[in-house]
Amino acid sequence: MAISRRSFMKYVAAAAGTSVLAESPFIGAKARAKAEGGKAVYITTTCEICFWKCGVIAKVVDGKVVKLEGNPLHPQSRGKLCGRGQGGLGLLYDKDRLKVPMIRTGARGENRYKSASWDEALGYIAVRLNAIKDKYGPEAIALFAHGSSGTYFANLLRALGSPNITYPSFSQCLGARNVAWELTYGHAPQCTCERVDLVNSRVVVLFGTHLGENMHNSQTQDFAEAVGNGARIIVVDPRYSTAASKASMWLPIKPGTDLALMLTWINIIISEGWYDKEYVEKYTTGFEELKDSVKKYTPEWAAKETDLSRRQILEAVRELGRYSPNVMIHPGRHFSWHGNDTQRGRAMAILTALLGSWGRPGGIWLECKTTFPKLVEHPEYPEPEEDAAIFGDYPFAGGEGLTNVLRETTISGDPYPVKAWLVTGTNLIKTMPGQEETMKAIDNLDLLVAIDVMPTDTVMLADVILPEATYLERHDGLFAIKTMEGGVSLRQPAVDPMYQSKPGWWIGSELCKKMGLDDYALKGTWEERMKREAKLWKIDYDELVDKGYITIPNSRHPYITADNPPTFKTPSGKIELASSELEEEDFDAVPVYEALDQPPAGQYRLLYGRSPVHTFTRTVNNQWLWELFKENEVWLNADEAASQGIKNGEVVYLINQDGVKSEPVKVKVTERIRRDCVYMVHGFGQHSPQLSRANNRGADDQKLISRYKVDPICGVTGMRVNFVQITKEA
Amino acid sequence: MPRYAMVIDQSRCVACMACVVACKRENDVPPEHYRTRVLEMVEGRFPKLKSEFRSELCNHCSNAPCVTVCPTGASHKEEDGTVQIDRNKCVGCKACLAACPYDARYINEEHGFADKCSFCQHRLKAGKMPACVATCVGGSRMFGDLNDPDSLVSQLLRENPYRVLLEAAGTKPNVFYINQYPRKS
Amino acid sequence: MELTITGVNTITYPYLHIWDWRVAVYLFLGGLTGGLMCMSAIANLRPGKVVARDQPCCWRIPLLAPIILSVGMFFLFLDLEVKKNMFWFYLTFKPLSPMSWGSWLLVLIYPPMILYAFAAVPDDFKAGMKPGLLKTWSDRMRPHLLLLARINFVLGILLAIYTGILLSTFVARPLWNSSILPVLFLVSGMSTGTALMIMMAKRDEVKLFFTKVDIWLIFSEIVVLLLLFYGHYTSDAAHRASIMPFFNASHQFFPYFLSIVALGIFLPLAIVLKFLEVKGEHSQHLGASGRFLMHASAVLVLIGGFIIRFALVYAGQLSKFSGLS
Repeated sequence: MAISRRSFMKYVAAAAGTSVLAESPFIGAKARAKAEGGKAVYITTTCEICFWKCGVIAKVVDGKVVKLEGNPLHPQSRGKLCGRGQGGLGLLYDKDRLKVPMIRTGARGENRYKSASWDEALGYIAVRLNAIKDKYGPEAIALFAHGSSGTYFANLLRALGSPNITYPSFSQCLGARNVAWELTYGHAPQCTCERVDLVNSRVVVLFGTHLGENMHNSQTQDFAEAVGNGARIIVVDPRYSTAASKASMWLPIKPGTDLALMLTWINIIISEGWYDKEYVEKYTTGFEELKDSVKKYTPEWAAKETDLSRRQILEAVRELGRYSPNVMIHPGRHFSWHGNDTQRGRAMAILTALLGSWGRPGGIWLECKTTFPKLVEHPEYPEPEEDAAIFGDYPFAGGEGLTNVLRETTISGDPYPVKAWLVTGTNLIKTMPGQEETMKAIDNLDLLVAIDVMPTDTVMLADVILPEATYLERHDGLFAIKTMEGGVSLRQPAVDPMYQSKPGWWIGSELCKKMGLDDYALKGTWEERMKREAKLWKIDYDELVDKGYITIPNSRHPYITADNPPTFKTPSGKIELASSELEEEDFDAVPVYEALDQPPAGQYRLLYGRSPVHTFTRTVNNQWLWELFKENEVWLNADEAASQGIKNGEVVYLINQDGVKSEPVKVKVTERIRRDCVYMVHGFGQHSPQLSRANNRGADDQKLISRYKVDPICGVTGMRVNFVQITKEA
Repeated sequence: MPRYAMVIDQSRCVACMACVVACKRENDVPPEHYRTRVLEMVEGRFPKLKSEFRSELCNHCSNAPCVTVCPTGASHKEEDGTVQIDRNKCVGCKACLAACPYDARYINEEHGFADKCSFCQHRLKAGKMPACVATCVGGSRMFGDLNDPDSLVSQLLRENPYRVLLEAAGTKPNVFYINQYPRKS
Repeated sequence: MELTITGVNTITYPYLHIWDWRVAVYLFLGGLTGGLMCMSAIANLRPGKVVARDQPCCWRIPLLAPIILSVGMFFLFLDLEVKKNMFWFYLTFKPLSPMSWGSWLLVLIYPPMILYAFAAVPDDFKAGMKPGLLKTWSDRMRPHLLLLARINFVLGILLAIYTGILLSTFVARPLWNSSILPVLFLVSGMSTGTALMIMMAKRDEVKLFFTKVDIWLIFSEIVVLLLLFYGHYTSDAAHRASIMPFFNASHQFFPYFLSIVALGIFLPLAIVLKFLEVKGEHSQHLGASGRFLMHASAVLVLIGGFIIRFALVYAGQLSKFSGLS
């Protein structure tokens, strides 16, 4: 018998009543410490093992962090931490951490460095950056960033007058998704988290989204809640993921044909009249154009194209129709798959609109309207003299820029030379497809600076390595947390920085000073700035320090009501089922299906994903996480394995269509994947001897992604377009 | 006196291992040793597959063979219903490891004593949930006092068919499993 | 079935690895000592025979028994992970724990054993006993020899059987979980004790007497061993699985297979040899070849007893209550 959500909440309330076992209502760090006898100190902060920004409470005893727990008040964690968050200590106390600033003495990649003082290292960088600026212009200096440290170096670059700041999270991850939904609704389905109201969904459709292995804390909690509530989970995935194992229906779709399925569903929904007529009438435009365009996508055709059964295709869409509008087409997250990804995202956005679930319970909730004023304490940034070299010819490349375009510019020098890269919080070699191109670009650089915590492959190519303090040792923020409500959180150190590491804000500020940009350096400490920001946001800073998260009252307006109508920042002011902006740029206004290349017999499409205990290369050296998952394996269909005489656990090599060969990797012979593809967890195959645990473990899927298809609409790199063969020969 | 028990809703477990890591950090469990584990089982032939996820730990049995066999009384049952180990009395004879049908125990190699899940008794005394329960992202692990008929665990066992592991061993475990397979509506 | 387990302890996965050769050696020596105590008691208590005080079987064995037991206990001590806590065994008594019974038995057994040794020393050797205190004790105990022999007989049985009882209570290890295991250990202990008696006795009459005893004991041993296997085979899935290593000649289980083969050869062979000796020597006069065969068969019995302990200790740890593989 299912536990309905209502009865579950009843249990929670009942449990709270029992005295001994009640989850102690969180009453602030100070009160908590007092309750435990004063030995332990509790510091509220924010995790950065991944980018979900969970609120953490660090338990510190005698100056050592002994335990990390979720902050019950914080909506991204709700009192829980995933395995990686729990294992954060493994990063703080990792003996392999970067400890002192280092300046390269040997050739790049030779791994010969000398230790330097901060003064020396920062001076070294400042001198060279200024020289590059003088010779080539400030735009020759670029920043690749991910995570909170990006802020401090973006400030530096803007102060210099360089517009070349880019984040791999757009071009290698969710860029196409956001653009697709922006073209349709004027907003991406994302704030601090995806705006997916899973707990109220009656039907949840996941296209490849592997929730559970993709461990985004609160979203996975919601997903489990949906499962517990008896929601119908429909998973469309060539692989039987954890999410698929919870599903009422698993559609093992042929990779690359998702759009065919979606367009067919749109056709059926329209022709059967299962779309929300009132909603479509009121809020959308382009319905007729859409209807005409999808007429040709029949279930029979789709069955052939997707290798699914007609029955499955119909059953799934019937569920959607039956329970709309409280249904969810999960927008996905990592989206750059095949080079046509924006159009795929458009189809998902269109489906959502037809089903009427944007702004309805169980669908995509409406963004909280809280605004957070920007605290600007420096003079205006100088206007860059040149256009940014991060957008290319892609009309819808987003504000975060395209790493691949910047890389290309660095290689070619066209439209102007880029001579310095600052890299922070991202392992570029393992992030960007076409590793050879990344290496080529780096060869053209006069200066490569890495600001990071661990000695990853990319860091160990840098000319100057600056050891950043871990998230448990520094201030960051304030963070504007937008979930269903608006809120504010912060990061503050649980312990002092170890070794010679320094917080990113200090590094960025000192570098400004060293380069004569004192106006843009920080006045005082970052904490002092946070206090000023709190004042600007009308938040009690002391309360924030104690609680870790403060809710902005009256910020929750998730659903469409008479008082809360939706707004769409599109040219028409409505949901554009047929995109006028795409039409203007000569792209298909309504997605049109085009079959992709499929791997020939004996070859497999390379798919990749996540493990719930790892955040790609960030965690593979972490003792507590490494010991649970030491190396990745390549998932191979059991029948395929049998036909090739490969046994479970055997070590093989993968060779892709360009002849690139992988490191040795174990095979997981499984029934859980189609015959035409293989799957690996991303983030392994590290080649950095400083990483005592992670070095040379498993295989690097990114190495095999030597081919990538760039989406013409927004420029993101589709990476699931490589076909590999398996060989046992070294 | 309470009788502490855990109820695990297998359908909600996503095998994220947060419990495994949290337990280790909370109880300073040595590297490569574990007090809890997660099993992922998939059966069938593509594409007709069936799966079961299950986390396992010490069951704090009401009829614990490890307590019966312990020659020094180091392994003992406490009034709150949990089975605990007095490290100072443990000789390291390992009879308790042999006696446990759930393979819940291990030897702490540095000091030699037998060790296992304690239901985070130190946390229970401070009014908190065990570390694994507190952090379970899927909301799969639930904990409470079976001697309280209004507790969450009592209610769950009243309202759901449940099972225990290795019932025929006669150990009377206090960890109960509901929803062995995800509901396919 | 595809099974992935995250968070296994190597000490219990894929199977239990807690007790090794040290425990097997102790079990063997413990059983041997039990057998020695019983058989030397029989030697001293045989009705109608004058107790010959210079019989090696009568006094060397009681002297040897505590030494052998101590060697065994030394190996057992080596197996403890927290040796400094050993005294805790003797600050508690857990009536439901065979291990607790055993630890107390192993201590309380020493005084009777030693007194028995004192009582059994023949006069000829007493003169050479220094210091004088030993002679005094020996004289004191001599009148109580028969009583001490009876006590040691009972203690010998307990010693041989308790380790079998201990192992048999582990419901988690189906190979051991049978009421016939203590019987096997008892019979095996007795037969190995008898074998050593045969080797150490000087007089042919004694040697032949114990050979006859040993024939019955080995025969019983074989029967009990067969019953153990048959009983498991006809029991539930876990019990059935637990004996499979012995009948599986693959690389992984070869030592177990070999041990069954060895037992299947050594024990019957020992019986046959002993039978021949008994049959052919009505005159109770053994020649050199006869002696050789007698000793050879005794060695076979000792090896057999050792193999049984070894194989059971290791194979028992392969078996699981849930083991259906």
